[in-house]
Amino acid sequence: MRKFTRPLLLCFAVLVIAVFLSIGVGSVAIPPKEALEVLLNTMEDTAPASDSTRTYQTILLTLRLPRTILMMMTGAALAGSGCAYQGLFRNPLADPYLIGAASGAGLGAIISLTLGWPASAFSYLTVPLTAFLCALLTVFLVFQLAKVRKSLPVTNLILAGVAVSSFATALTSFLLINASGELRRALVWLLGGSTMAGWKPVLGQLPFALIGLLGLLTFAYQLNVLQFGDEQARQLGINVNRARTKIVIFATLSTAAAVAFTGVIGFVGLIIPHIFRRITGGDMRRLLPISMVGGAVFLVLADVIARILVAPQELPVGIITSLCGAPFFLFILRRSKEKDW
Amino acid sequence: MQLRVSIDRAGYDQSATISDIHFNLQEGQLLAVIGPNGSGKTTLIRAISQVLPYIQGQLFINGTDLFQTSENSRARLIAVVPQSTYVPPSFLVREVVLMGRTPYMNWNGKASGEDEIFVREAMEQTDVEKFKDQLCGELSAGERQRVILARALAQNTPVLLMDEPTSHLDLRYQIEFLELTKTLSLNDGKTVLVAMHDLNLAARFGDVFLAMKNGTTDAFGSAQDVLLPEKLSEIYGLAVRVIKLPDGGSTAVIPQ
Amino acid sequence: MKKISLLTTISIIISAAFSACSPGAAAVSAEISVTDGLDKQIILDQPAEKIVTLSPPITEMLYAIGAGDQVIARDSFSDYPETALSLPDIGGGFAEYDLETIVSLTPDLVIAGGINTSELVGSLEDLGLTVYYLANPSDLEGTFASIEVLGMLSGHEDKAKELVKGLRSRVDAVFTALEGVEEKPTVYYELDATDASKPYTPGPNTFYTSLIELAGGENIGGKLEFEWAQISLEQLLVEDPDLILLGDAMWGITPESVAERAGWNSLTAVANGVVLPFDDNLIARIGPRQVDGLEALAKIFHPGLFK
Repeated sequence: MRKFTRPLLLCFAVLVIAVFLSIGVGSVAIPPKEALEVLLNTMEDTAPASDSTRTYQTILLTLRLPRTILMMMTGAALAGSGCAYQGLFRNPLADPYLIGAASGAGLGAIISLTLGWPASAFSYLTVPLTAFLCALLTVFLVFQLAKVRKSLPVTNLILAGVAVSSFATALTSFLLINASGELRRALVWLLGGSTMAGWKPVLGQLPFALIGLLGLLTFAYQLNVLQFGDEQARQLGINVNRARTKIVIFATLSTAAAVAFTGVIGFVGLIIPHIFRRITGGDMRRLLPISMVGGAVFLVLADVIARILVAPQELPVGIITSLCGAPFFLFILRRSKEKDW
Repeated sequence: MQLRVSIDRAGYDQSATISDIHFNLQEGQLLAVIGPNGSGKTTLIRAISQVLPYIQGQLFINGTDLFQTSENSRARLIAVVPQSTYVPPSFLVREVVLMGRTPYMNWNGKASGEDEIFVREAMEQTDVEKFKDQLCGELSAGERQRVILARALAQNTPVLLMDEPTSHLDLRYQIEFLELTKTLSLNDGKTVLVAMHDLNLAARFGDVFLAMKNGTTDAFGSAQDVLLPEKLSEIYGLAVRVIKLPDGGSTAVIPQ
Repeated sequence: MKKISLLTTISIIISAAFSACSPGAAAVSAEISVTDGLDKQIILDQPAEKIVTLSPPITEMLYAIGAGDQVIARDSFSDYPETALSLPDIGGGFAEYDLETIVSLTPDLVIAGGINTSELVGSLEDLGLTVYYLANPSDLEGTFASIEVLGMLSGHEDKAKELVKGLRSRVDAVFTALEGVEEKPTVYYELDATDASKPYTPGPNTFYTSLIELAGGENIGGKLEFEWAQISLEQLLVEDPDLILLGDAMWGITPESVAERAGWNSLTAVANGVVLPFDDNLIARIGPRQVDGLEALAKIFHPGLFK
């Protein structure tokens, strides 16, 4: 029951398949021969031979490839931070949005939209960046509210998270009501339907998501020790407050990076670590990395489904993940005996 | 290793729960801390292992001021066996014992050859070697308690603090546990502090005794100084008799 | 062999001579340079031949100036004129736009409207397309300017100017006919009454208010704060408008259903049966039909003055 290498390799293999699927699927059917030609052109850095090849190149390299990478990173970020939060709060129902990252990002996006900042097309990264910053600020606020002198009790984090999230959501709703002009943009953002195309969102998201995820991996062992409670962790030599602070920071970086560029996608951070815990056990040094890969696979596949289910229309990815969430929880319910937690 | 404890006031906030506890322990001594529930035994252990928010006093281990050391260094000096037998069920026994080596391992918990040796020895000493690949969730409370003890032993510290470590064990294991502890203190020169419920076991295994009442020292010293019927009756609110058994060694404490 | 190569050589020399002599001359005369609603500089070598439209008013206006043949795809809400329905649908509305199909159609110009986000514009540009963003005008002059710009972009400047001239004269006609008219009927224009106790009505700074005013009426919604405003039933009763126009008629609201609403039959307009369905597209959709809308409103407000 405690396997790691084989499931990890399997996950990577499925990821490769998923990536190919994601690049191969879209509203425009690209014959495999053409796709191969595009690949060769890119590798040899030659110009496309014909107009149609150029079109295919644009579609494959500027639309599908960056989107696939975006979904991979978002999936990894959400699953990774979800896993970390489940360890941090010692609760299998914790998700990445628990301490305010999502509501903060939403508020930031709406503020940026209603103030009409990114009026010109060139600064259209302003919305996601504002969302990102606001997500960080929100979590920071939660942090400060939850701190008791130098320690960071878990219950306080959750309570403060709920309080601040509610407030942020209320503020967002209020701004929405008054945002007559930008209302449509705001709604589109909140519904998660404004995944920007091209490489810009990938480049914007990548550094933060990477730092966040790598940072979490360095705290995997400490997360293990934290499972025994603050007292025992301290007695074993762990600086609990510092560990918890760093973990929250890295997890929030990942979550904020995900939400800012792809909207609020639910269930990934909740389901993936849950599933893999049954396979690898609770050791975060295994669970974290495999959750990240699993999250990437899950979201890339969910996105493929979202794109082909009602083609040529596209469903928001969040709908597919939610559709997976419901049966998953019913399944958990049926297993009355929770052996792992 | 001399453990010097001098606590003026300590607790979870400024309204301290324990006060005025001062004693020194030598290498190889086993201090039995006795007293009714709520007398502050657990708080004392928390204070010494520095997981208590408010401590006014001094703590020295062989001249090292514990207030000036990092968490990591402290963890190499003091190991604790807590009262709770909760272990996250998804860890294997050997993984839990290996955690005792946390102060010595790197950020990723990589075990060196030396770490493995300490772990194996600790598991042998506590007779949990046979469970080493099992999930902790599958063990009984008593077995888990031995695993936690193994973890503390693997930590290889000069000072060992134990909070009512035998509460869930069968009599056989209670005796084995405390005999092992006694052996460690004698052979390895560990200074051991054990908070105990059972006065008979305390009498049998303790070298020095600290009787606590209402958060403060009621008596400290050898068996003659502390295990006196009047004292014990006063502390526990129950008349007791202290009998020295004819075999010459053991003392028994029996309620009237 | 020799003949062909001689011919080829001569052709090459002649073409080279031409391009050397008049480097920019030919280009300059056909070049179109405009600034769009997002302050971007759009430069076309020649009028756009393959246009993709992303919003209904743009489709409408292009067809109105005779550029309908140049539209190769449209968004899903473009339904006027009817011939536009046969064009490929590239999404839009609340769903995602089908960027892949847009790219595969290799348009030389994509025209976005007020409802499109700057993110979409940016994305399309990142894909190598030229996008003109037509910001929403706030009055008829703006509509006329939009028509003329589209004329420039599609090479139908003359037709566009002609259309605008005709529209202007119609507007002037309405203006003239209303000269000296003192009485202005008060109007409640209904956008959405899903919550009948607090329906939505257009506020100030909207085409609704300005067209109603131009047509010799007064929009009671003009007193409210927001552009997309809610008016409480109580307020409505106090205002007691002379007329009620149902902009939501296209969603199935009828005068009968209005009369059935609790408390609504105390309104004068309801009692007098002056509750009229109105084609919202005649006001909301930027384009020549807005003048149709103006005339329709004028006829409703001052039936004696307009046939």
